[in-house]
Amino acid sequence: MKKTISSKIGMVLFLLPAGLFFISFFVYPLVFIIITSFTSWDGLSQPVFNSWNNYRFVLSDPTFKLSIQNNIGWILAGGFLQVPLAVLVAILLARKPKGWKFLRTVYYFPNVISIVAMSMLWMAVFNSEYGILNGLLKAVGLEGLQQNWLGNYFTAYPAVVLFGVFYIGYFMIIILAEISSIPETYYEAASIDGASRLQQELHITLPLIRGSTLTCMTIAMVYGLRQFEQTYVMTNGGPANRTMVLVLYLFKKINDFQYGVANTSAVFLLMIGVIIIVGLRRLFRAKD
Amino acid sequence: MKRFLSLMLLVFVVCSAMAVGIFGNAGRAVADNQTIINFPSIWVGKDSKAVVMNELITKFNQENAGKIKVVVEEIADYDAYEEKVKVSIAAGQVPDLFITKAGAKAEPFYKSGKLMDLSKYMDSAWQDRFVPGVMSSATYQGRILAVPYEFGVTPVLYNSKLLEKAGYTEFPETYQDFFVMCDKMEALGITPMSQMTGANAWTSMLWYSQLLAAIGGPDIYERGFDDPAYLEAAKLIKKMFDYTTSDAVGATATVAAGHFLNERTAMLMNGPWFIGRIKSEGGNNFYQNIKVAPAPAYQGGKGEKGGYLGFVQALLVAAKQSDHNKEEAVVKFLKYLTEAENVKKLSMSSGALFVIKTEINPGDNVEPLQGAMINQSSKAPYIVPHFNMSVKPAVATEFPQALSALVLGIKTPEEFIATLKAIDTR
Repeated sequence: MKKTISSKIGMVLFLLPAGLFFISFFVYPLVFIIITSFTSWDGLSQPVFNSWNNYRFVLSDPTFKLSIQNNIGWILAGGFLQVPLAVLVAILLARKPKGWKFLRTVYYFPNVISIVAMSMLWMAVFNSEYGILNGLLKAVGLEGLQQNWLGNYFTAYPAVVLFGVFYIGYFMIIILAEISSIPETYYEAASIDGASRLQQELHITLPLIRGSTLTCMTIAMVYGLRQFEQTYVMTNGGPANRTMVLVLYLFKKINDFQYGVANTSAVFLLMIGVIIIVGLRRLFRAKD
Repeated sequence: MKRFLSLMLLVFVVCSAMAVGIFGNAGRAVADNQTIINFPSIWVGKDSKAVVMNELITKFNQENAGKIKVVVEEIADYDAYEEKVKVSIAAGQVPDLFITKAGAKAEPFYKSGKLMDLSKYMDSAWQDRFVPGVMSSATYQGRILAVPYEFGVTPVLYNSKLLEKAGYTEFPETYQDFFVMCDKMEALGITPMSQMTGANAWTSMLWYSQLLAAIGGPDIYERGFDDPAYLEAAKLIKKMFDYTTSDAVGATATVAAGHFLNERTAMLMNGPWFIGRIKSEGGNNFYQNIKVAPAPAYQGGKGEKGGYLGFVQALLVAAKQSDHNKEEAVVKFLKYLTEAENVKKLSMSSGALFVIKTEINPGDNVEPLQGAMINQSSKAPYIVPHFNMSVKPAVATEFPQALSALVLGIKTPEEFIATLKAIDTR
C-alpha cells in the first residue's frame, strides 16, 4: 500500500514540471487566444469585447479566404506530392545504386541550411533579371517562357510551392530508415517466386512502410498549415495577395496592431489543424 | 522509502537548476548595483550610424561607470526590430528605450499608456535644441511622449551619366517632361527607374507620395481617398512601372537599390541614409555621377515646383518607469544623445539628417549629397510626409499588395483606390 502511494506521488512529481510547462506555454496561451479573438485589441492597451465582429470581419475578407485556399494547396502538396516524392527517392536510394550515399546527403542537405537562406537562394533562381531559371530557358531557346516567376500572378504560387515540395530530405531519411528495417529475406523469397523489382516495391516495400509514410504525411500536412518563412521571404504574400497564407495573414494583422483579428485567424488555424489531425487519424484507423 | 527520497532529491535538483536558469539574470542585475538601460537598437551592424552611435554609447557608459549602463540589444533588420518591440510591449515588457517611426506608426504606442511622459523634463533649454515644429510629432494629448530624432527627406537620386546619354543635364521639372525623358532613355536601352512592390514597396510608395503631393497639394492627406488626386496618382504610378525593371513586381528594397547601385536603372527615390551605400557599394565613379533633385511638379496640379517629402524618421521612446532613478537615468541618456555635438558627429559620419539644430562650420566636411538635400529641402515650398506615415498601418500594409494588383492589371486604378479606402474605413 505504502509503495503504491509513494509511486503515485513520484509519478505526480515527475509529471508536475512537464504539466506546469504544458499549462503555461500551451493551455494558457490557447485560452488567451480564444478569449482575445472576441476583442478589439491593439496589443498595447486593454482589450475591448466586441462579440463576433472579428469572426465576421475575417470571414468577409477576401485575403483571408485566399489564405485558407492557399494553405489547403500547401497541405495537399505536402501530403500528396512532397511525401510521395520522398518515398520514391527513398525506395530508389534503398537499392543502394552507385553514389547513393552522396545523393542521400545532397537530398538532405537543404534541411540543415536555414530556410530563410534557402528562400533567398531560390528568389535569386526565380529572378527575372538575373535568375538562373530564365537563363536556362534562354540557353535552350525558350525565351518565350521567361517570367518574373515570383511577380507574376499565375506563376508566383506554384513557384513558391514547388520550392517547398522539393524539401524532401527529412521525410526521405525517415522512410529510408524504415525500408532498411525490412528483412532482406522478403525480397529474396519474392525474387525466387519471380516477382519483378517493381512488383517487390509495390507489394513488399510500400505496405511495410505505410506507417512511417502516414506519419510523414501528417507532419508534411501540418507543415503546410504552418507555412510561413518561405512565403514571407520570397513573396511576402504577393503579388496581389496571391501567395498569402494563414500564418502570414496573422503576422500582418499583428503588424497592424490588430491583435484581436490576428487571434481570430489563429483560432481558424487551430481548427483546421484539429480537422487535419483528426481526419488523418480516422483515415489511418479505417485503413488498419 | 529510500527510492522516494532519491526521487525527491532528483526533483529538487531539477527545480533548483531551472530556478537558477530563470532567475539567474535578475540576480546579476541587482548585484551590479547600477542602473541598466535596456536599449534595443536598429543603429547597429551595417547601418550608417552604427559606428558613431556605438562610440557615443561607449563614452556615455564610461562617463557614468558604476551608475548607469546602457545595454544595446542589436537588431539589424528593421522589420524584425518593429516586431520585437511590439511583441515585448504586448507581453508587458516595454524596453527602457526604443526607436519608432513617427506618425501612424507611433500612435498605438502613445495610446498604450506605457510610455514615459517627458513633458516635465522637456524644459525650454532642451526644447531649444530641436528645429521648430517637430515636437508635435512626439506629442499626444498634450503630453510629450517621445524625443524626435532622425529626420528624413526623400528626393530623387539620379545617375547624371545615364541622364546625359538621353540628352538631359538637368532633372525634369514637370512629370510631362519626366515621362518624355523616360521614353528617350528606354529608346537607348536604359531602364529609367527602380520600382518595387515587395516588402513595404518603399521606393514606389515614395513615388506615389510625391505624385499625391504634386497633384493634390501638400494637404492631400487631410482630404481622404475620395480626392481625385489619389486616382490620378494611381494612374501615374502604374505608368511608372512601364519604365522599370522586369522584376519590379515583388522586388524588395535590396533588389531595387541593387539595380540603381549597379547602374541598371537611372533613378531611385530614397533618403540621406542611402548615401553611405552609394559610396561603399557603387562601382567606379558611381558616387561622382549621383545627383539629387526634388520630384517633378504636375502641370495643373495643386503642388509646387521643388516640393519635398520629409518626415521625422525616428523617434526615441522611453518606457514608463516606477523607479525614479531609472527614469532620470533614461532622461540623462536622451539628453546626451540630443546634444548638438553628438548629433553633428552622427550626421557627418552617416549622411543622415536630424531634427536637432547643429552648426555647420566652414571647415566642416559636409557630405555633398547630404548638403544638396539640406539645400533643396530648405528652399522647398512645402515638405510633406510620405503616404505610409499618413495612413492607418493596415492601409500601409495593404499598399504593396494593392499596388502589385494595379501594376499587373488585376485591379483598375479605381479598384486600387477602393481597396485602400475600404481598409481605411474598416
